[in-house]
Amino acid sequence: MRFASDTGGTFTDLVVEDDDGRVTMYKASTVPSDPVAGVVAALELAATDRGLSLSTMLARGDVFIHGTTHAINAIITGRTARTALLVTEGHKDILVFREGGRVEPFNHTVPFPKPYVPRALTFEVPERVIYNGDVLKPLDEEVLLNIIAQLKAENVEAVAVCLLWSTINAVHETRIGQLLKQHLPHVPVSLSHAVNPTLREFRRASSAAIDASLKPLMGKYLGSLTDRLKDAGFLGDVMVLTSAGGMMAADYVSDAPIRVINSGPSMAPIAGRYYAALDSFKDRDVIVADTGGTTYDISLVRGGHIPMTRELWIGQPTRGHLVGYPSVDVKSVGAGGGSIARVDSGGLLHVGPMSAGAVPGPVCYSRGGVEPTVTDATVVLGYLDPDFFLGGAMQLDKAAAEKAIKEKVADPLGISVEGAAWTIIELATENMVQAIADITVAQGIDPAQAVLIGGGGAAGLNSTFIARRLGTDTLIIPEMGAALSAAGAMMSDLTAEYATSLFTSTAHFDSEKVNNALFDLRAQCDAFARRAGPKALKTDISITAEARYENQVWDIDMPLDIGRFRSDDDILALRKAFDAAHERIFTVRDETSAVEIVGLRATVKCKLRVGDGLRLDSRNSAADDRKMRKVYFADSGWTDTKLYRLDSMSDGQDIKGPAIIESPFTTIVVDGRGHFRRTASGSIVINP
Amino acid sequence: MTDINLNGAELAILNSRFEGVVRKMANTLLRTGRSGVLNRAKDFSCCIVTKDSDLLAAAESLPIHVLAGPDMMARTMKEYHPDLKRGDAFLHNSPYHGCSHPADLTLLAPVVDDDGVHRFTVVAKAHQADIGNSEPTTYMGNARDLYHEGALIFPAVQVQRDYNDINDIIRMCEIRIRVPGQWRGDYLAMVGAVRIGEREILSIGQEIGWDKLDAFTKQWFDYSESRMTDALKSLPAGSVHGSSTHDPFPGMPPEGVTIKAQVISKPNEGRITVDLTDNVDCLPCGMNLSEACARTAAMIGVFNSVDHSVPKNAGSFRRIDVQLRYGCIAGITPHPFSCSTATTNIADRVANSVQTAIADLGPNAGMAEVGAVIAPSAGVISGVDSRNGKAFVNQVFLAFSGGAASPHTDAWITTAHVGNAGMCCIDGVELDELYHPILVKKRGFVADSEGAGQFIGGPSTIVEFGPLVGDFDIGYGSDGHINAPKGVAGGAHGGAADQFLQHSDGSKTRLDACALVHVKYGETIVAISAGGGGYGDPAMRDPEAVASAVRDGWITSDRATTVYKVVLNTSGQVDNAATAAMRG
Repeated sequence: MRFASDTGGTFTDLVVEDDDGRVTMYKASTVPSDPVAGVVAALELAATDRGLSLSTMLARGDVFIHGTTHAINAIITGRTARTALLVTEGHKDILVFREGGRVEPFNHTVPFPKPYVPRALTFEVPERVIYNGDVLKPLDEEVLLNIIAQLKAENVEAVAVCLLWSTINAVHETRIGQLLKQHLPHVPVSLSHAVNPTLREFRRASSAAIDASLKPLMGKYLGSLTDRLKDAGFLGDVMVLTSAGGMMAADYVSDAPIRVINSGPSMAPIAGRYYAALDSFKDRDVIVADTGGTTYDISLVRGGHIPMTRELWIGQPTRGHLVGYPSVDVKSVGAGGGSIARVDSGGLLHVGPMSAGAVPGPVCYSRGGVEPTVTDATVVLGYLDPDFFLGGAMQLDKAAAEKAIKEKVADPLGISVEGAAWTIIELATENMVQAIADITVAQGIDPAQAVLIGGGGAAGLNSTFIARRLGTDTLIIPEMGAALSAAGAMMSDLTAEYATSLFTSTAHFDSEKVNNALFDLRAQCDAFARRAGPKALKTDISITAEARYENQVWDIDMPLDIGRFRSDDDILALRKAFDAAHERIFTVRDETSAVEIVGLRATVKCKLRVGDGLRLDSRNSAADDRKMRKVYFADSGWTDTKLYRLDSMSDGQDIKGPAIIESPFTTIVVDGRGHFRRTASGSIVINP
Repeated sequence: MTDINLNGAELAILNSRFEGVVRKMANTLLRTGRSGVLNRAKDFSCCIVTKDSDLLAAAESLPIHVLAGPDMMARTMKEYHPDLKRGDAFLHNSPYHGCSHPADLTLLAPVVDDDGVHRFTVVAKAHQADIGNSEPTTYMGNARDLYHEGALIFPAVQVQRDYNDINDIIRMCEIRIRVPGQWRGDYLAMVGAVRIGEREILSIGQEIGWDKLDAFTKQWFDYSESRMTDALKSLPAGSVHGSSTHDPFPGMPPEGVTIKAQVISKPNEGRITVDLTDNVDCLPCGMNLSEACARTAAMIGVFNSVDHSVPKNAGSFRRIDVQLRYGCIAGITPHPFSCSTATTNIADRVANSVQTAIADLGPNAGMAEVGAVIAPSAGVISGVDSRNGKAFVNQVFLAFSGGAASPHTDAWITTAHVGNAGMCCIDGVELDELYHPILVKKRGFVADSEGAGQFIGGPSTIVEFGPLVGDFDIGYGSDGHINAPKGVAGGAHGGAADQFLQHSDGSKTRLDACALVHVKYGETIVAISAGGGGYGDPAMRDPEAVASAVRDGWITSDRATTVYKVVLNTSGQVDNAATAAMRG
């Protein structure tokens, strides 16, 4: 029996796979002060559903896969360890300078970001290595020992080390690591060349500092999770989802917590790719949009590959902290069910980025929210049934939602309440469409040719309209779309990533250096796979080159299928592959420029799960499919709209909107212009 | 068509769509541009102007690029080419016809509907790595006139017809502009940007209807104007004079050039006037402002002083009256005076004189002075890389600061200069050392160099670098040594710029403000950038922030006491009683 959970800001999702292959899905409220409590509550729902006690059910468990925002929340709320940073002499301000850049150039109310580690805890170590790895100035161990004494005196709880050119020659970083271990044995250390070998010292320093600062608390959190699951009767393996879209054993997370920063959202494209393929859209690019209460997370699948990025920011770009570590490219914008609608002094409507969040939440939740939100608009329009929200688990107050929208939006705009509610949806939809446009243009994907996957419990409410604006002919709301990341978690593999920073160019290609690096990376992957042992049913190793044309600033990821470079033909093949990849993303190729490689990354994936499918257990409820509801659409006004129960629909039949499809976890709205069908995979496919 | 009236929701949605178009244009240009000025310094902009040549929407970019100028360029295009057709595109970089400066090559494409009616114009402007000047630089401050400057000038010259290049024009560029391959790459990126913008607007027009879009632009300008009116109503009333002085550079009088701005704030009318007419005549150097830069710089000073959420377009611009004089260095520069560096030096002094004048209107208004540029730490280095025998020439962006304090918060430290507003990227040391045979020995900040105040200006940066092997040349023009960035409302000035050549024996020689310096192996350049001015009385600053600045080494405890009137105890904590006594 397998469990996969994803802790979101509002809900904790749980997907359970029984040994007979049956899959079920549960949602419990997230407890921000004690995230493990939300996980246990969801597990209790699953146990009750099976007529078992929690301990009996857990005792049958083989694996528990956990997605957590604990690391990111700790950074946002400043609860990380007291961390020191050691840098090369003369370069104290790496974390102050960052890489420049700014958003909102006329906004002089936002202060310059503070460095992740304060200057008072940043120490300059006398040493210098140059670009080719030569030591220009040896490490002064005497000064270093003085610094270590200061670290002790300052009660530092974690130490990050980032020296210039440590990725080319790590001798000084390694030695500092040894001395720290010797003199501060209980203080965790992160060395930049090991955490994130990349040729940009700011990103390396930022990764190392973030990593070190998370070590004590992630160790404690996962220890507590493991212990509480064990106390409750679970004896299997505890896994944690990684930013790169895989999973790792919880025991190892505290060695490299940087790997799990975006645990959770990174899984959405894994699930999205699976569901697109299930309905024979394997050859199309996929846009995966996950609607939450406060954020709208967008990720992509391009030609079967999930694009990665080193530009994951905690907080706003240029204002927050750059993680710098390769992560699944997920763009997150402040738009969701909780986004607040308001009319400004000039009479213009705004939706978001302010959010009512989970607390106080939308007005209709009756938890004290007074500002009208997107969710309130969907209740007013008849999209959400106030009596069947979360399968009836939560009653919604429609009258209060109407009153808030009337007073705060409809009256100031001089329009009807339903007209106002519709424009709130329309503007929220537009904001989401623009966010998708931003990420797709940057990744060279034409949204009109792609398939849109709607994930998250609220996706169905406006994804038809989003898809229509994007121009795509296919929108898929997967059967398990309401818990997309948890579903992705269930199908995720045990993974590890290894990287090396090197520099070479097709103009003077250093085959030996590249071949040695490839050999080392594969050896590390093989060793990892061996450690996974017989549980690994299948092992995949993939190599990615970080490459660019000469003098370009931004590199792109290019899959590297070759094991070693033997001849000029191999180098020519590399540059041809790069030209094609560049043209794919940027629409142009430049065959006259040399191609530079600035780094290599390897990912090893060990498949642990038996079977490939993931179908929700269907329990044919005797729902009445002939029920109708009055629902408001812009084109047709209040319209008699047919209601369907997702779990009792038959497959394959093409149905014309308007329609509302409901399940305990989600509501899907299709207006009169759309068609839809339930496919054999259990998904609803909509042609908007 | 006049009876179409959109509500606040429809306005919001259409605005979001037009903003989406300019963002898409900008993303395309950023991702496909080849030169470093474009993709590293982000020295480009994309915008949409209406058929009447009014600025409608601009993607977020460096401020000096877009406020005024696109409107004038579109007007020139219409005047010289009254019969616009779909598929046309025009090159424009004439500072005498609305462009900022010749290096900012601009591509304009009219958006023509199915009936052949010109509806909008899409504009992409990108600072080129080279524009064919007589010397290999795009900032030729020493240019006596346009002929000496030598840039190829295009006053709205047609370069595409029926979506095809007019190859005569392309060939002229490829003959005159250095590194033509790179130029061609950037040109293609601009074509990609305007064509994407055109396609998107055509599709919006077909979906929404052109008459409705006309109604939208009119109402959007009215909305923006009303927001600007509200913002200007919150400024104090009065007439004030501001000034900002540029250090003497070659071609300037020995005392430098003082820029004067009169600002008249009329909150009861929701209007503001900036008068730049009382300034010296154009000079025989490359520092004269184009009309576009003079107007834009004045407006930057204003927009830096009001609610940042006011949309910047022809509607809000109606409330700003900028008065310029023909033949004036900060006005309308006649041909053939050179405007080679119009986007930086004098333009920065204009914006600074306006925002510091506004600060004099009363409390919580305006901003301090942003530091000047360009220190050698952002200079152009050139030479032959003895590691591979290849010649190199590149602007490095090792460090800059310059940020000024506002009435709301401390400076955005890495602002670069007022016209850039911090949009520029900063290089990593490793990347610069990889691509050039240099060694960066030190990169950091100068202690006690922040513009003291209740809110502080940025501290000066200090970078020490020299050849790793062989020699190199470095060219720069560093303003702000004599005239450090001024504080306002009781705030102090920020650190001044300075530069030295440090010899192998450890001795130092101070370098000129503007120079091309040969640096030999064993020598290093020590480059100190200008900081930024502070806002408000330093004795009003939060004592805890002062204590933390001492702990972090930004300032000395001596400065905490003498400048900020904060007394710290031996453990570095604020001594509240002693501080209160000292502050009175």
